[in-house]
Amino acid sequence: MSEKKRIYLQPWPIRIWHWINASGIIILIVSGAQIRFPESLSLFNSYKSAIEVHNTAGIIVSISFSFWFFYYKMVKNTLDKLYIPDEEDIKHGLVRQLLYYCFWYFLGRPSPYHATPDHKFNPMQKSAYLAVMFVLMPLVGLTGILLLNVTPLRVLILMWGGIKFIVALHFLLACSLLAFLCTHVYLATLGDYIKPMLIGWEDVEEHEEVGGTEVAIPGYRPVRHYPEYERALLEQRHS
Amino acid sequence: MKPADLQKMSLLAKLAFCAWAIAGLIAQASAWGFSYGDQTASNQACLSCHGKTGEVPKGSFVDPQRFTLTAHASIGCAACHATVPSNHPDGTKVPKADCRDCHSGISDEYAKGLHAAKTACNGCHNPHLVQNPKDVSGQEINVICSNCHNSLEMTAKHGEWLPQSELHLRMLPCITCHTGAKDYYISMYIVKSKGDSRFGKQEVVEYAELKAMAGGRPIVSLIDTNRDNYVSLEELRVFNRSQKSLRLYGMMTPSTVSHKFEILDSRRNCSFCHTSGSGLMQTSFIAVPDEKGSFLRVPVEKGAVLDALYAAPDFYMMGSTKNANLNNVGLAIICCGLIMPVGHGFVRFLTRKNRKQKEHQS
Repeated sequence: MSEKKRIYLQPWPIRIWHWINASGIIILIVSGAQIRFPESLSLFNSYKSAIEVHNTAGIIVSISFSFWFFYYKMVKNTLDKLYIPDEEDIKHGLVRQLLYYCFWYFLGRPSPYHATPDHKFNPMQKSAYLAVMFVLMPLVGLTGILLLNVTPLRVLILMWGGIKFIVALHFLLACSLLAFLCTHVYLATLGDYIKPMLIGWEDVEEHEEVGGTEVAIPGYRPVRHYPEYERALLEQRHS
Repeated sequence: MKPADLQKMSLLAKLAFCAWAIAGLIAQASAWGFSYGDQTASNQACLSCHGKTGEVPKGSFVDPQRFTLTAHASIGCAACHATVPSNHPDGTKVPKADCRDCHSGISDEYAKGLHAAKTACNGCHNPHLVQNPKDVSGQEINVICSNCHNSLEMTAKHGEWLPQSELHLRMLPCITCHTGAKDYYISMYIVKSKGDSRFGKQEVVEYAELKAMAGGRPIVSLIDTNRDNYVSLEELRVFNRSQKSLRLYGMMTPSTVSHKFEILDSRRNCSFCHTSGSGLMQTSFIAVPDEKGSFLRVPVEKGAVLDALYAAPDFYMMGSTKNANLNNVGLAIICCGLIMPVGHGFVRFLTRKNRKQKEHQS
């Protein structure tokens, strides 16, 4: 038995943050490409416009990042729970989610994970976002701030290993963000991820919970699509 | 007289005439004050007083060491101060030559520029110190400009449109943007952190220090390892990688210095400089300090010389210096990001029927 249910997954501050961030990062990638390869790319009118756009977008994304951190950590107080994988995620969740993406999805099975407002991300999302939001974004932002103020922050730049190291780090981190962006956008098309990020609500099918504790793996919800669960269903039918 | 004797006498007369004519010309040249011989001895007479701070008023002091480096020293004091009275110093002013007497072309050029209404030659050049721009570092050229153009004011004014204006003003000679030169070269100076501090400002290293580092060999051998008086890009790379304290700083300098100072809109286009392998940045020299206090210019292999400087940790020019290996690593990272959309997307397309069947079943 199943019925349609709507859950409010993405609150409006997060939706605004996400789309500011998304457009900002795309602008940063495009303008950054022209700044690094001016002899091959001229997407903006002039080199100076590319620099100005890049600087402005960088500042906006940095502010938006700070807002994201402040909102989840201080207002909602769910930052750790949402983004740091727990023991169960590491032990079983990651493998299960990987198996889903690599095999079960192709066989037509639904995702083993359904998001709730307090557990929005599956274990793979958690791990990826942990790396992106706690390592890549802060580092790319900090190196960007250093490059924006080469003369005033000269000593800091030298402490970090010199301007060339900072530039190399900023460039490689930006490439990693672009790589993440490709994967992120593609994976968003695998489930109902885009609609909640636009309107906030997600339509979910509410199943009747079946089965005992022996099939429910603690900490990982829901268990409906696990192979063990399907086996339990079959056993129930036979009995 | 025999005809042979007559012939000999005629030849002697011709020779005597020639000698008289040459002597007359030399005498005339001396009278004009132009002499192209060694003027050290005649300058010494003047410098015996004017080269000592206590002997003459402050404004009449001439630093003998720095004066010797100027082109003016070689033509001698008398070339510009021709009519020094016999009872000098009697308190009367000694007349000076007009710069236009020799530099009339420059004077015409200067008259067309923005500075013409503001100051004359001596506003920027002290004739007793002036050196060829090739013999001084770009930083020294800018010191002349900063006598009138306050650095802080200029940084603020340029900052209205120029990103990182302080950095630009420190790393470029003003004349690169404010004169309409057509050709440029990259002049590389050997620099070192002030006081050997890790965070010290980079300063041009002086002759004596480099000489000690070279250990008796010519200074250029620190970079030009095969001593062919020509620095290849590979030699530049090796120098940058192997040196711990010394660095090379490149400055884009006009090949021919114009005296027509102007504000050129073309210089507001950043890609005038910020492009890898720009046509304007193919010719380079290493300015090696020499014992006289000027620089010896050693040619460098043509090409994207700033790319070769990539190994230096504290020199980077956006859009112009980039490491090809780093670009490849970046490309590899981006390709990794495409594995999921391309690889997974392909299998997703092939197995689309499985998911449709499941949807129908549910």
